[in-house]
Amino acid sequence: MPLLEVKGLKTEFRIEEGVVHAVDGVSFHVESGETLGIVGESGCGKSVTAMSIMRLIPDPPGHIAGGQILWKGKDILSMPDDAMPDLRGNEIAMIFQDPMTSLNPVFTVEKQLGEVLEKRFGLKKEGARARAVEMLEQVGIADPSERIKAYPHELSGGMKQRIMIAMALMCEPDLLIADEPTTALDVTVQAQILHLMKKLQEKVGAAVILITHDMAVVAETCDRVAVMYAGRVVEFCDVYRLFEETKHPYAFGLLKSIPKEGLTKEDSLATIEGIVPSLIHPPTGCRFADRCFKARDRCRSEDPQLRDVGDGHLTACHFPIEEGDE
Amino acid sequence: MNFLKLDPLMVKRLQRFRRIKRGYYSFLILVILFVISLFSEFIANDRALIVNYEGKLYFPTFKFYPMAEFGQMDEYGFDDVEADYHGLKTEIATLKAEFKDRMETWDGSAAELLESEPRFQRKDNWVLMPMIPFDPYEPDFSYDEPPPNAPDGRHWLGTDGQGRDVLARLLYGFRISMTFALALVVISQTFGTIIGSFQGYAGGWFDLYSQRFIEIWGTLPFLYVVIILTNFFTPSAKMLLIVFALFNWLGITYYMRTEMYREKTKEYCLAARSYGASSMRVMFKHLLPNCLTPLVTFTPFLIVGAIFSLTALDYLGYGLPPPTPSWGELIDQGLQSDNRDKIWLSMSPFAAISFTLILVTFVGESVREAFDPKQYARYK
Repeated sequence: MPLLEVKGLKTEFRIEEGVVHAVDGVSFHVESGETLGIVGESGCGKSVTAMSIMRLIPDPPGHIAGGQILWKGKDILSMPDDAMPDLRGNEIAMIFQDPMTSLNPVFTVEKQLGEVLEKRFGLKKEGARARAVEMLEQVGIADPSERIKAYPHELSGGMKQRIMIAMALMCEPDLLIADEPTTALDVTVQAQILHLMKKLQEKVGAAVILITHDMAVVAETCDRVAVMYAGRVVEFCDVYRLFEETKHPYAFGLLKSIPKEGLTKEDSLATIEGIVPSLIHPPTGCRFADRCFKARDRCRSEDPQLRDVGDGHLTACHFPIEEGDE
Repeated sequence: MNFLKLDPLMVKRLQRFRRIKRGYYSFLILVILFVISLFSEFIANDRALIVNYEGKLYFPTFKFYPMAEFGQMDEYGFDDVEADYHGLKTEIATLKAEFKDRMETWDGSAAELLESEPRFQRKDNWVLMPMIPFDPYEPDFSYDEPPPNAPDGRHWLGTDGQGRDVLARLLYGFRISMTFALALVVISQTFGTIIGSFQGYAGGWFDLYSQRFIEIWGTLPFLYVVIILTNFFTPSAKMLLIVFALFNWLGITYYMRTEMYREKTKEYCLAARSYGASSMRVMFKHLLPNCLTPLVTFTPFLIVGAIFSLTALDYLGYGLPPPTPSWGELIDQGLQSDNRDKIWLSMSPFAAISFTLILVTFVGESVREAFDPKQYARYK
């Protein structure tokens, strides 16, 4: 039994213009201890998927319209509301994209870490303080016993993200959801943060869902990858297979758009032509069809389902990439 | 209020407030005056502070003593009513003078005179009266002319239409106004903050309907409601407080609602929830400390409004029931046609209310300035 299994998840937002199908039938699973990357461009539903797992979709306007999220075999979506606080933080923790605003500006770091420790382990005052200092040291903050007295505005972005990581891993969760944890940070700090997450993940033994749009980050850190496009998973496979045997044209396009060695100023980067379809009135058939170089009539009429194309490599495409496609 | 002390931004604002001298000193004066007025019984009272009678000390401020205790009796022959400390003081003074007169014609020593006329022994008693030896309720009819009497050495600000000391009534009136205003602010701001926070945090239909309710409620005319209610019930401080609170909690809800709307979209709110904090905890522990600015900046102005409305209601006769010492009632007396030449009646409460409201406004202005984030902004 996988640690987390998402089956046909549908999350919608009702806005004035209509219903936005932000996540439309997403399925994937996470085994304990592994790192799953969720990649895709902005607005493809990566973050909404993560928020749905935590049941933190702002309602209204959003709500989860269907599907199942099985956590250790139990459906999160059918749990009563008052069971969620026990799950959040204790079993599933989350790191957010913008470290600048994810700490409460009016409390010291000590107070915020202390609150989490008190909830999770019932630690108070001295005990909590010692644990928090120890944790800050582990995430590589110099002079932790002084820094712990600081307010968020006195810390840099990288430091704040380290503190968020400390907070998440301090809870010793079984699953850590990191929603673009390095997007708001300097490139130099990004690598450090990812390395740190990896190291601490191994120590705590947590599974990680890493949401990102950076293919390099995926290659570096993930065991498996789910590629999302317009609210759907289009490719779900081993990280090596994604780079070696890409099946879906969208994933193929994404990989081609990564700048490669040897490019000069005159060369233009590969792009995927066209724009993401409207999520209010999604087109019938494959949602990528309008931008796909392999699209045929069947793609525009028949919706491709995720199917196994060999060794657990899943893709949602009628005409997967074959060798020799450019 | 622990979080106020810890928050560095708040500390900085308070430091900024201290640097704005006008507001800071107004605040100090107000606090000192209010603390003094809390001890009004020791300042303006017709009970003595200390009485030394037959070698025993009495503290009548704290305890009722009948006339019999000091060998007194009123004109109807009762001696179990409250002792007359003014009378006692006069009596002792008369005895002293008389004793002095007798000594001039007396051949022997003072001790022998005391022995022959033991009533003189009482001349050694003493009475210490408060600074203003009148309480705000007792009429003083010792003048030849009917009240109101003009200011003199006995009554520094004169007496009102019923012979009561104006200064004593001003002092007690200040205490009542301030206490009333502070109580009102605490009640209405607390209630308004809670409602506004729920509106902003919950949003959706609760926000929609409660906002419409508040709008409708806000259009009820306050004065007419009070007038109608005073026709059915005897107004008391408690009732007035409730009625005032019913109309005053609305104002702050608008601000708390929008502050909550803004703060709840920030990621730290989501982060707190993702660690399993309950809605209540997120709302009042995490978001509220970030939403305090309007609460603090509006409070002084609410106090101004409360003092002013209470005075206005008293002036109109719908306020606190007589004989409660009140500024509005004094102004009303002073403006009656046969009292228009008794200028101390209208001018002293007018001066008192102006002074108080100016001080509170200065405080409010400085608080607002100290909390202004655009302090250093430059507009071109």
